[in-house]
Amino acid sequence: MINPLIYFLLFLKASLFSTGGFSNLPSLHQDLIANGWAKEVNFGQSIAIGQISPGPNGLWVISLGYLTYGYLGAFLALIAITIPALLVLVVSAGYARIEHRAWVRGAMHGVSLAVVGLLLTVVWTVLHQPGVDWAGLLIAAGAFGLAFSRKVNILIILGLAGLAGYLLYR
Amino acid sequence: MKLQDPRPGKWQLFRIWASVGLQSFGGGASTTFLIQRAFIEKHKWLSIEEFMRLWNLCILTPGINLVALTVLIGKKLGGPWGIVVSLAGMLLPSATITCLLTVAFKQIEHLAAVQAVLRGVIPATGGIMLLVGLNFALPLIRKGYKEGVLYLLGSSVIIIACALVVILLKLSVIIVVLSAAFLGALFFSSRSDAPLPVKEQGEEQ
Repeated sequence: MINPLIYFLLFLKASLFSTGGFSNLPSLHQDLIANGWAKEVNFGQSIAIGQISPGPNGLWVISLGYLTYGYLGAFLALIAITIPALLVLVVSAGYARIEHRAWVRGAMHGVSLAVVGLLLTVVWTVLHQPGVDWAGLLIAAGAFGLAFSRKVNILIILGLAGLAGYLLYR
Repeated sequence: MKLQDPRPGKWQLFRIWASVGLQSFGGGASTTFLIQRAFIEKHKWLSIEEFMRLWNLCILTPGINLVALTVLIGKKLGGPWGIVVSLAGMLLPSATITCLLTVAFKQIEHLAAVQAVLRGVIPATGGIMLLVGLNFALPLIRKGYKEGVLYLLGSSVIIIACALVVILLKLSVIIVVLSAAFLGALFFSSRSDAPLPVKEQGEEQ
């Protein structure tokens, strides 16, 4: 059974220690899998749905919330990604005072590096979903290339990938 | 001096944010663009310099940068109620659609065709995510080139170490972030007198 309070706190924690829409994934992945509250496939599914829905990319957790805990899960996930954003009010009040200290810059650089490393673990998690074989890795490489060119819309890339999946695995 | 429109009412603010949220597909780049078009170009409530200053504060805030930006612009244009209606406009319609798409997916996920399509889409999101990571890494690498080989090497080691300890040792993400902040304060503090690299708009995903 899912404990709603702990479930919410796990989402809040992941969001508080992330920056950008996807860096909360490693933390959620660790905690929800450890509790048995999410299946491995839920992560790939919710990221895919998040990519095709409107709004900031960080809304993929709404989808993860619904897949793991129904409407309540989606609602708790929405609250959990809203609260940390309000901290920007605190940041804007306090940052002017400490931004020139050298250690603040150094620490921020360290955090930015960690964010890149954590995003690599997101890639790892997604490509280790059940059902991703060598053809899937080729699709991933193709999607990376098309997105890198910045000439093709993300929705078209996902559409092509879906078509490839349909033809390969149907 | 550009003529700015009168301050928006709550309902107008809500509608502007809702249209930004609903029109942004494929993540941050298009959203940032839509916000600039609505608040800077169309209504002239913000200057681009002001926008950049707010954006830098959002990068330092945990969570989704675009949601933090919504809070700051909402506060500037409407005080506490401005924050509430802006957040509601940005998040509620698009979150509802995301949720309904997931509901629809649950209804049809057992179909073999849906499973096949998803087996193609999921690795593609992995490839796109790799690009997101690269976009985050580029300003750091550029800074590393400027600061010297040791700085670049140290930065690369921290990136790879963070990824490996999470994947192999399953170390808690919070411990990893805090350790990286500590190491950063220790090793990178004395060198960087230049201001924080200003991220290009649209890198937030």
